[in-house]
Amino acid sequence: MTETDSNPTAATRRRWRMPEEIGVVVALVAMMAVIGIARPRFLNPINLFSLLGNTTFLGMLAVGMVFLLAIREIDLSVGWMFNFSAVVAALLMVAGLDPWLAAFIGILFGAGLGLVNGLIAVTLRLPAIIVTLGTYSMFQGLSLVVNKGRAIVPADQSSSFFSVISTKLFGLVPVAALVFIVLAIAMHIVLHRTRFGYRVQAVGSNPEAAAHAGIPTNWVRLQTLVLMGAICGLSGVMYVGFRGAIDPNEGGDFVLVVIAAVIIGGTPLSGGHGTIIGAVVGMMIIQVISSGLIFFGIDATWSTFVTGAVIVLAVSLDRLIKFQRARRAERSRETLRS
Amino acid sequence: MISVRNLAKRYGGVVALDSMSLSVERGTIHAVVGENGAGKSTLMKVLAGVVKPDGGVVELDGTPVVIDGPNAARQLGIGMVYQELSLFPERSVLANLFVNREPVRRGLISKREMEAACSDLLDRLGLNVDVDAPVSRLSIGEQQLVELARVLLERPQLLILDEPNSALNSRETERLFAVLRGLRTSGITMLYVSHRLEEVFAICDRVTITRNGRDVLTRDRSGLTIAEVIEGMIGQQRDALFPPALPPRSDVAPTEIVVSNLAGGRLDKASFTARSGEIVGFAGLEGSGVSDLFDMLFGMRKARGGEVRFPDGRGMPRSATEAARRRVCLVPSDRRRDGLMLDKSILFNLSNVVVGARHGSPWYLARAALDRARRQIEVLRIRGAPLALANSLSGGNQQKIVIGKWLEIDPQVFLLDDPTRGVDVGAKREIYGLIRRMSAGGGIVLFSSTELPELIGLCDRILVVYQGRIAGEVSGSQMNEHTVLHLTNTGEMPQADRRPQANQETVA
Repeated sequence: MTETDSNPTAATRRRWRMPEEIGVVVALVAMMAVIGIARPRFLNPINLFSLLGNTTFLGMLAVGMVFLLAIREIDLSVGWMFNFSAVVAALLMVAGLDPWLAAFIGILFGAGLGLVNGLIAVTLRLPAIIVTLGTYSMFQGLSLVVNKGRAIVPADQSSSFFSVISTKLFGLVPVAALVFIVLAIAMHIVLHRTRFGYRVQAVGSNPEAAAHAGIPTNWVRLQTLVLMGAICGLSGVMYVGFRGAIDPNEGGDFVLVVIAAVIIGGTPLSGGHGTIIGAVVGMMIIQVISSGLIFFGIDATWSTFVTGAVIVLAVSLDRLIKFQRARRAERSRETLRS
Repeated sequence: MISVRNLAKRYGGVVALDSMSLSVERGTIHAVVGENGAGKSTLMKVLAGVVKPDGGVVELDGTPVVIDGPNAARQLGIGMVYQELSLFPERSVLANLFVNREPVRRGLISKREMEAACSDLLDRLGLNVDVDAPVSRLSIGEQQLVELARVLLERPQLLILDEPNSALNSRETERLFAVLRGLRTSGITMLYVSHRLEEVFAICDRVTITRNGRDVLTRDRSGLTIAEVIEGMIGQQRDALFPPALPPRSDVAPTEIVVSNLAGGRLDKASFTARSGEIVGFAGLEGSGVSDLFDMLFGMRKARGGEVRFPDGRGMPRSATEAARRRVCLVPSDRRRDGLMLDKSILFNLSNVVVGARHGSPWYLARAALDRARRQIEVLRIRGAPLALANSLSGGNQQKIVIGKWLEIDPQVFLLDDPTRGVDVGAKREIYGLIRRMSAGGGIVLFSSTELPELIGLCDRILVVYQGRIAGEVSGSQMNEHTVLHLTNTGEMPQADRRPQANQETVA
């Protein structure tokens, strides 16, 4: 015990740590290279940026979902929070409200849906996955009641709201994709550089210890679910601006893709840790797979299967790496003791 | 019938069994007593095949045997009833009795056969419950009997009981003892581990006293007194483990915490006052209510009644967050579950309270966190780099992190719940030094421990909690292991030092 560490300062400086997202980034680049060599047209900037555009709406949800997995929760209702907020915003636009204002209300509405999830989960001490299993259908049902089963199309699309969001900067980069990237960067900072992000990881890592350290665990869970709702709202109103309409069923199949992207990105289901960059790249991998298959002339129906296979592959690799790391840690501990 | 010779087992640097020898006669109830860490539980686990010894011999009826797993133990006729219940609470009594060896007829589990096989035994145990009801609906005492029945169904020759009545009230204990006496007449040998000496004397035929992983003394119960047993458990183990008290800082105003009639959990009507600059010890058996007291003072548990006045003039915190903000800290007894984020770095863990609980800047600054980590690593001499995972550290270093994250906010009230559990001797000494510093720096220190020597070596006075009430306070010349052990185990002050046992003269 008397022996102190040689010099912790030097030790931390000396060891440069590889960013953990390196694995998924390499996987994405390799995939694109393979497709690009076989079908050079795939690497055309126009195609790549349209790919990025397609990633936007689901990618935003994935960014929010990272926080949930990091706090050891899952929100199943994201797709319908997305849909419901979009429907409400679109209906307000139809009613003649200024689209910017309607969009803002849509985001708040999404946050409100998240608040509903959060209040139920916190007051009843239920896991969010159970609560959102119920609200999944509630939000879907309410949305259907409100939109009467029809697509909502704001008639007057002359507002700058529509033109700004669907514009492509330099004829290439969709503004929606830019918003997505800004959101991702902001959320990355929130997760790693703010007290809220710290608390999320602490609660997810060990809720008991977090409570014993005086961390307000319920408050943090509530905040996380509200954040998820607000991001769904943002994604929803952007969708309305981008497509000019919201279909009654849009969003229903989002949740599994979103969770898949987060997991491919390297966020563990066991909580305590998350990577936004990984989730964004994970979502891109999923998009590259489905569009790559089209480039190879393989029927698009295969993309679902391949996406699933990639998830299985990603989690098995992850498990393998963790297993080895744990063994190494154990070995080093034994040498320390002896 | 069964005997062990020179059994040894170490966990890392901690010696659990040094050289333990023991011999049990057929058809007797043989008690093994000793303080925490004396090696009782490890000995039992070796016999049950759960723990592999590093050395020594186990002999069954004179032939050496190797017990390399719980199944091997079972085949040798050794059954063990664990201290904590290992039942499946949602499943029925029958399902629990026949876990993993359900009688099968035509590919289906036969409930009728199960009932037939156990009804006789349940009658004998006096367990008249609905066998289809989930175990969670039974009282703790009944659950304990289910546990016992499950082991007895395997027809063991040797039955090991590790504090089987720790959760029982006195009536249930009586019933359990009646059952055990019945088993003894039917020829079953029993090894009985307990802290509670009164009970040991009530039920056992022979007693082995253990200390520091060795057997100190084995004798028939009729040749022993409680006083002698306590003497044997303590031994002569005073050493320079405890640093002397430091001079108190003169520049801080004295403060105090006043607890009156506090009740909650197992604790009932506790009243005491603790002042800054003193270390107040809390002694009590597991489940006596000390942990409940600390949880309430820390806002983790709601009180049923009573009042507390903290040094800041306010009452009880309503949440742990509020406690942390009012500079009340708790070092929990279960370090791995309640104290640490094991998959996180030292740096992350040390920021727990400052970043996680307190008001202040909404940013988490990596630079500040690193400074914090370096500071505590230096002050507490934690062996590890700031980014090392908490899981990779030894128990002592882990405990220093738990303490260190609180030192960052300079607490006024320290609630230390068994802070040296599972920590090696070197780290223990360092932690004792820290506790001295907390107290000298103007903190109010409430210190609970399951190890008597450290309570006596460190505390200014000791409050003994027995079954939820404060049974007594010892200080000054009264503060010796004999008195405290007597209080913790019986709830009464020893009368005139030695009390002759019924029809038994004290042996000089």
